[in-house]
Amino acid sequence: MSFRRFFRRREWDEERARELDEHIALEVELNLARGLSPQEARRQAYIRLGNPTAIREEIWKMNSLVSIEDLGRDIRYAIRQLLRSPGFAIIAIVTLALGIGVNTAIFSMVNGLVFSSMHIEQQNQVRLIAIRQKGQSWQPALSYAEFRQISDATKGVFSGLIADQFGLDGVTMKGSKPDRAFTDYVSGNYFPTLGVHPLLGRFFTPSEGLTPGADPYIVLSYAYWKNHFAADPNIVGRQISLDGRPMTIIGVAPENYRGLSSILEAQAYIPLAMIVPIENLPITDFNKQANRNTRVEGRLQPGITPQQADAALTLAARQIAAAHPAEERDLELHGFSLQAGRLTGGIDDDNSFNTVSAIFLGLASLVLLLACVNVANLLLVRATVREREMVIRSALGAQRFRLIRQMLTESLLLALLGGIGGVLLGRLASGLLASVNLESDLPIHFDFGFDWHVLAFSITIAVLAGVFVGSVPAIRLARANLNLILREGGRGIAGRSHKLRDALVTIQVATALLLLVVAGLFTRSLSQNEHVDLGFDPNHVLTMMIDPSEIGYNTTQSAQFFRGLMPRLRALPGVVAATSAQSIPMGLIDNGSDSVTIDGYTPPPGQPQPQINNNLIGSDYFRTLSIPILEGRAFNDADNDKAAYVAIVSKAMAEKYWPHQDPIGRRFTMGADPTHPMQIVGVAGDARYGNLAGTGQAAFFYVPYFQHSDLNTLQAIELRTAGDPAAMTQEVEQVIHGIAPALPIFEVKTLHQALYSPNGLLLYEVVAALAGVMGTLGLILAVVGVYGVLSYAVSQKTGEIGVRMALGAQRSDILRMVFIHGLWIVGIGLAVGLGASFGAARLLRSMITVSAVDPATFVAVPAILAVIALLACWIPARRATRTEPMEALRVQ
Amino acid sequence: MVRSNKEQEMLLGTLDMLVLQTLITGPAHGHTIAHVIEHTSDDVLQIEQGSLYPALHRLEDRGWVSSYWGPSENNRKARYYRLTALGRRQLHKQTHRWQTMVDAIGRVLAKAGKTAD
Repeated sequence: MSFRRFFRRREWDEERARELDEHIALEVELNLARGLSPQEARRQAYIRLGNPTAIREEIWKMNSLVSIEDLGRDIRYAIRQLLRSPGFAIIAIVTLALGIGVNTAIFSMVNGLVFSSMHIEQQNQVRLIAIRQKGQSWQPALSYAEFRQISDATKGVFSGLIADQFGLDGVTMKGSKPDRAFTDYVSGNYFPTLGVHPLLGRFFTPSEGLTPGADPYIVLSYAYWKNHFAADPNIVGRQISLDGRPMTIIGVAPENYRGLSSILEAQAYIPLAMIVPIENLPITDFNKQANRNTRVEGRLQPGITPQQADAALTLAARQIAAAHPAEERDLELHGFSLQAGRLTGGIDDDNSFNTVSAIFLGLASLVLLLACVNVANLLLVRATVREREMVIRSALGAQRFRLIRQMLTESLLLALLGGIGGVLLGRLASGLLASVNLESDLPIHFDFGFDWHVLAFSITIAVLAGVFVGSVPAIRLARANLNLILREGGRGIAGRSHKLRDALVTIQVATALLLLVVAGLFTRSLSQNEHVDLGFDPNHVLTMMIDPSEIGYNTTQSAQFFRGLMPRLRALPGVVAATSAQSIPMGLIDNGSDSVTIDGYTPPPGQPQPQINNNLIGSDYFRTLSIPILEGRAFNDADNDKAAYVAIVSKAMAEKYWPHQDPIGRRFTMGADPTHPMQIVGVAGDARYGNLAGTGQAAFFYVPYFQHSDLNTLQAIELRTAGDPAAMTQEVEQVIHGIAPALPIFEVKTLHQALYSPNGLLLYEVVAALAGVMGTLGLILAVVGVYGVLSYAVSQKTGEIGVRMALGAQRSDILRMVFIHGLWIVGIGLAVGLGASFGAARLLRSMITVSAVDPATFVAVPAILAVIALLACWIPARRATRTEPMEALRVQ
Repeated sequence: MVRSNKEQEMLLGTLDMLVLQTLITGPAHGHTIAHVIEHTSDDVLQIEQGSLYPALHRLEDRGWVSSYWGPSENNRKARYYRLTALGRRQLHKQTHRWQTMVDAIGRVLAKAGKTAD
């Protein structure tokens, strides 16, 4: 049958009608020639031909897509079948909905973080430009000077190169307290290059953002405009002040543009060079060749491939390196897709996000597999019950192919209903995930919305699930000898061979084991991390952040402010110790990191000077955080800009750069302040600042804030209290506002809370919670499934058991028989699952803090599963042996 | 029970074979085909004329015959069917198979006849 005829079958039918008419006419003539009357001739002709309409109908059918017409019938029949056994239908649909829901939720998360649209024009034409110097990883942070040089050198491949830097600034409207905003300082061509158009007013012109202080204009994000300016339609032209500087609002960004990062969404956009006056940045710093905190993206010229762009970038890197040999030695430049830097802010060089998402999608698909196996099993049991129906339908002329298709239709219908339920569940779950409280005042934003990616994904897995669960009983049916069943009085297809069912149990045990081991490893890592030695004492510490520049203070005024503030805080009753610091452990504000020149230390050939994390701290810092001073002394109020410049190094740094020597009295210089070599006055214990993985013994150094107060105005206030730290919040705020009434205070939290930040325990918490939820789901599905299958298998053997007992078998013999069979299939499942689990754990090594062969997990999980499986054998077996042999035989 | 596919195929195949055989002498329309089959079999094979047209349709679908409109004996338009090269090969194959089977059945029956005597 050709499709051409299917679509032309009306025309085709008319031709057949003419052909048949012609046949009748010829036959009539023949009959007339034989001397029949016209009437009789006609009658005879029709008798010989048969019913022309029936003939046409037959040909019509040959030209039809019979299957499409049958499909409607199959679906109607399937619906009737499901309505007839609503209990089965509901259990199957809910089971599948859970499996599909988990997958939908996880996928919508991955999609929302990485793959969803950024709402810019031709996203794949925009490249994120990263830099690398020999021996280091790719970083998407360039200096403004490099941005200008690359811009000039790559005009042939990029139609536009944009740059931006993030800031935190105080926004004041007339007559209100300042509010702190997360700002994005962008080059003038930022919005036009991305192809984003303003909702209100205008965006910047290409020349805006070139000259420091020249363009006091601000563009608001949609969310900020809506939440802080009540979506005022006449906002354009209004004056606000930013860090005490008057600015004019010129436009509002569209609702769907949320920036190029998945998590942090800028609240306002400001021309790039305005960062110099607003953030009190010395112009020399702004233009410094190696001051790398600018993100740069470029839009490819039409027809230019990413490879061509990379070639141009390589050439540009060589030119820049030649022009600035001191700062740019071995410079390399490379373009990455926007997705690569979307989540973490760095280039996902090790693809750790991909690994995490693959793991979670993998776990979710294991849950789905378990759900499918359970439903397949239900269908298998149901197929035994429905064998009579199948045999009768087949006797009435139904082809086996039709019966199999009918079963597949039923299971696909189940899966699609399960899919609808799954999408709803997934939506709910991803909504919950997106609303995880990060306890941060920063505009962190998760958008796990449902776009067509997610929907297509859910439909695909629902269809796959439907085909999988339907094919199990269909295979069974295809192999069965229906005649035999009819003759045997419906003993059943599923009653004889157990291979398929045994295979299902094996899959279930193996899958559940793998799922539970992975979930167990993550959960154990979390609980271990909660007890990890941090190197400081997070209890009884209150932290909050203030930045006097947000009310227009310059660096000198800010230092003055902190100098006045600290004694007042220390005087508060209940305060044991108080200090200030640039960053808090695991905080959202990064620790400083600087290249360091150490007297008497030369880096290995070809390597740059080491980059070492550091913190700008006030006096009494070590007492406040309970970090031990192992040697020398802590900082005190005398360590100010009039005294000798000093530093304290961590134990790890001391051991790395001055092994077997006394570091006290040694000198080093940091890149941020090259004119003041610092002398080491103390060695502090190692503390975990960045994250919880690894040994926690990274090199780190501390310098006094009052010797480098020009570097930073943003400081975290940290107070060790005698009682509940949170109860002190109001008093502390009063003290601060007593000095600077309008100063915004943010990120107020205890240090213990602060540890549950995205850099700290939060990630482990979310991961462990997700893994825990999936593990629990998997365990329930596996228990129900394994118990269901094994107990059904044993109950099917009731007849056999009756015979054996009638022939004199002991109960213990029967139990042994049942157990050995159960042990075999469960044992194989456990072995396969253990193998897979060891493999998976190896892949997870970098993400868990317990060992990849954590004995607790690898012993407990198989043990639990084995006990459940054996119970599943034992309970029905005991029941079977307790029945009277005669009764058991009658079951037949 | 379902008649097995092979069985169905053979019954349909017989009519197909007869139709193809008829067309070996040249193109013909449906009416002629029906009468030729009846006459050449000395009216032993009374084919149901109605089943002829679906058979022709099927043969055309498989590419064993092709069709065109041409003038009929009474100068009206009739649908003519012509054997294709593929159809000729198919006819050869089917005739051979049929002959083998008829011979086999013949031998079995001859033996059975002797035993009965």
